Amino acid sequence: MVQAAIAAPALVAVLLAAGGRWLPRPLVDAVATGTVLAVTVLLGAVLAAALRHPVVAWLGGWRPRGGVSAGIPLVADPMAAGLALLVAVLTLAALVFSWRYLVEVQAIYHALMLLFTAAMCAFVLTGDLFDAFVFFELMSVIAYVLTGYKAEEPRTVHGALNFGVINSLGAYVTLMGIGLLYARTGQLGFAAMGARLPGQDHRLVTVAFALVCTGFLVKAAAVPFHFWLADAHAVAPTPVCVLFSGVMVELGVYAVARTYWATFAGAVPGAGPALASLGVVTALLGGVMCVLQRHVKRLLAYSTVSHVGVILLGVAALDHASLAGAAYYLLGHAGVKSALFIAAGTLLNRFETLDERELHGRGRRMRVPGAVFLIGGLGLAGMPPSGLWAGKSLMDEAAERAGWWWAAPVGVVASALTAGAVLRVWLRVFRGVGPSGEGTDEHEDTETGPRMSRLPWTMLAPAIVLAGGAVVLGLITGLIHGVSHAAGLFVDQRGYVAAVLSGGAWHAASEPLHPWTAAGVIGGAAGVVLAVPVAVLGLRRPAPRLLRPAVDRLRAAHSGHVGEYAAWLTAGVALFGLLLFTA
Amino acid sequence: MSHRARFAVFVIGVAGLAVLYVLAAFRLPDFGGRFHPYGERAVTSAIAERTKNVVSSVNFDQRAFDTVGEELILFASALGAVVLLRTVRREREEEAGEHGYGPADVFDALRLTGYALLPVTLLIGVYIVAHGHLSPGGGFQGGVVLGTALHLLYLTGDYPALDRLRPVPAFEAGEALAAGVFVILGLAGAGLVIPMNAMVGLEVGCAIVLVLTKFFEQALLVRTDEAGKGEGT
Repeated sequence: MVQAAIAAPALVAVLLAAGGRWLPRPLVDAVATGTVLAVTVLLGAVLAAALRHPVVAWLGGWRPRGGVSAGIPLVADPMAAGLALLVAVLTLAALVFSWRYLVEVQAIYHALMLLFTAAMCAFVLTGDLFDAFVFFELMSVIAYVLTGYKAEEPRTVHGALNFGVINSLGAYVTLMGIGLLYARTGQLGFAAMGARLPGQDHRLVTVAFALVCTGFLVKAAAVPFHFWLADAHAVAPTPVCVLFSGVMVELGVYAVARTYWATFAGAVPGAGPALASLGVVTALLGGVMCVLQRHVKRLLAYSTVSHVGVILLGVAALDHASLAGAAYYLLGHAGVKSALFIAAGTLLNRFETLDERELHGRGRRMRVPGAVFLIGGLGLAGMPPSGLWAGKSLMDEAAERAGWWWAAPVGVVASALTAGAVLRVWLRVFRGVGPSGEGTDEHEDTETGPRMSRLPWTMLAPAIVLAGGAVVLGLITGLIHGVSHAAGLFVDQRGYVAAVLSGGAWHAASEPLHPWTAAGVIGGAAGVVLAVPVAVLGLRRPAPRLLRPAVDRLRAAHSGHVGEYAAWLTAGVALFGLLLFTA
Repeated sequence: MSHRARFAVFVIGVAGLAVLYVLAAFRLPDFGGRFHPYGERAVTSAIAERTKNVVSSVNFDQRAFDTVGEELILFASALGAVVLLRTVRREREEEAGEHGYGPADVFDALRLTGYALLPVTLLIGVYIVAHGHLSPGGGFQGGVVLGTALHLLYLTGDYPALDRLRPVPAFEAGEALAAGVFVILGLAGAGLVIPMNAMVGLEVGCAIVLVLTKFFEQALLVRTDEAGKGEGT
């Protein structure tokens, strides 16, 4: 069953690539959407099974004998199965949005989207580190192609190239780390390596952790590995942005967490503080950069950087309640951010531009996209009962217990900055507030070919469903219990190793978690209250003179020069290693 | 960031990376030790499955899922070449004969050698694919030989002949179907080294031809209409 969820989209993808050119466009759309719908149902069944007991499938029948195997396992614990399901749901939304979307080389676009789904599912479900690397690469290759899909624009090629170079460099560093682990343990599986790490030289273990995580942190766009993200999001087609920001970037954090708990748990004492430092800097820098943007997709991209920083911080607490909070936050963010990207796509479709000033007041009549921006802004601010709020409330409580009093304010600042920027766009574009400024007159492709008389429901429905779902996520008590159960299993290394290598039991006691605490509600309210001045002050044109040099320097650092990005990447690896040894 | 600042950041980073790597290399196992957990496991497993070539057994049996991923990477890359190197709006493809990449004026000896080597090279490619489970080689290596063999025609200066010999839709379909069969074999089957080798050979051969085709088109046929921009030599 788990295998079928990976095989089905891959098979339909190759069939579409082989014969899609002879099929009419509606049929191609129907086949692709139907396949993803089937995968969604299949993964729902896998998740239901995994909630009863995690599913372990050894491919090719290479079951371990005496605790060793030459093969590769797929491990569907509730966390992995849930994430794979999220991948499928977001792909479904992206494909429905694409129905009226103009694509050249049409069937290949659908084939790539399906293959992307298969790659992400395989990456999430594999129980083998090297195999994860292979599917990381597959995911990346497809992502580069999808980013560069509108290849006629030079800046599209530029964005895709930056993405490709930086992600590939990160992947090589990960491979170096895998090599180190393999050389000493003779194993490649998460569980098998983890079982043999005790007794290894601690320096080796720490360095290997640093190197393996680098590629994943590049994917997660943690500072200083984050530069590629905005360049890629600004040029990628809208449905592709939905998948990138909604789930692909977050898979980087998932991979760090999986690598830590399945293999390195307890062996790298510096992991928590080191990851937390990266998370804090990422959350704050992403928030600041978000406020500074006026290209709507670029703004949303930096908001993703900021929120993934918060998720990384939640993981870094290395605690099951905090991990549950991070997972919930991820879920809420996926819904809100996907909806926002879709709404941005409708703006691009109407006005051929995404420059916020150029769009001033022009969205007054667009009720649905306007509502999505308002709801999305409030969701990002962490307004109860949104998914982001519930996740943050759980994370803050866990951080408080660990003595990390600064974690909650960092989260509030990140929420206020990113939500303020989105609300500013809402005020300016959909309500026409503020002075109307001159834009850049830069026109972009509408992504639909001839202008449509009105926005089709296929473009609006996914945004409504995703945004609406995300803002009430905090009310679904059953889901919170499920996520907390999943997190409990996720952090149980002994259970993981036993279940994978000897088919043993994998149960974890997890007390039910409640986000409705006084501190949680106050934190959520603070995010909303602080977002308002950020939005209103942002409408006034010039930045205060005091801040201008710092702002200019920040902008200059995000130059689009791929050599600079690569230099920051190497420095980032060294810094992360240093933090792991000293923290 | 100035060139010098960029270089400084890079040097600091690489130096740090080097230090990390040296730290990891302390307490290396002794040279020529007897600790080879993976090798022992892979060899025993391969022999138990009666596959003579252990490398093939690892690639196509024990860790077939990795190879599925690698196959799909190649497949996606070929699709990527088709998408990214397509003739975009401001470009146009040259009409046949406009420039005349026809049979070039080369030595008869070169042409004859190319024509004679083509069938031989194809045969060698098939041989390498077919014997992958017994001897060094296999689908990946044989596929590369197959894919490059066709391009002997280009080396003989006969681009039109090469063009006739590789109908792009057929190669696209061949590549895709081979990848599809491989996914099924890799996820469902076990111990299917021979058919998997054949599928990899087909996929790799087709993918290489496709990617090279796109690059040839880009270099030889595609022109931007804006004068001076992207004009090839």
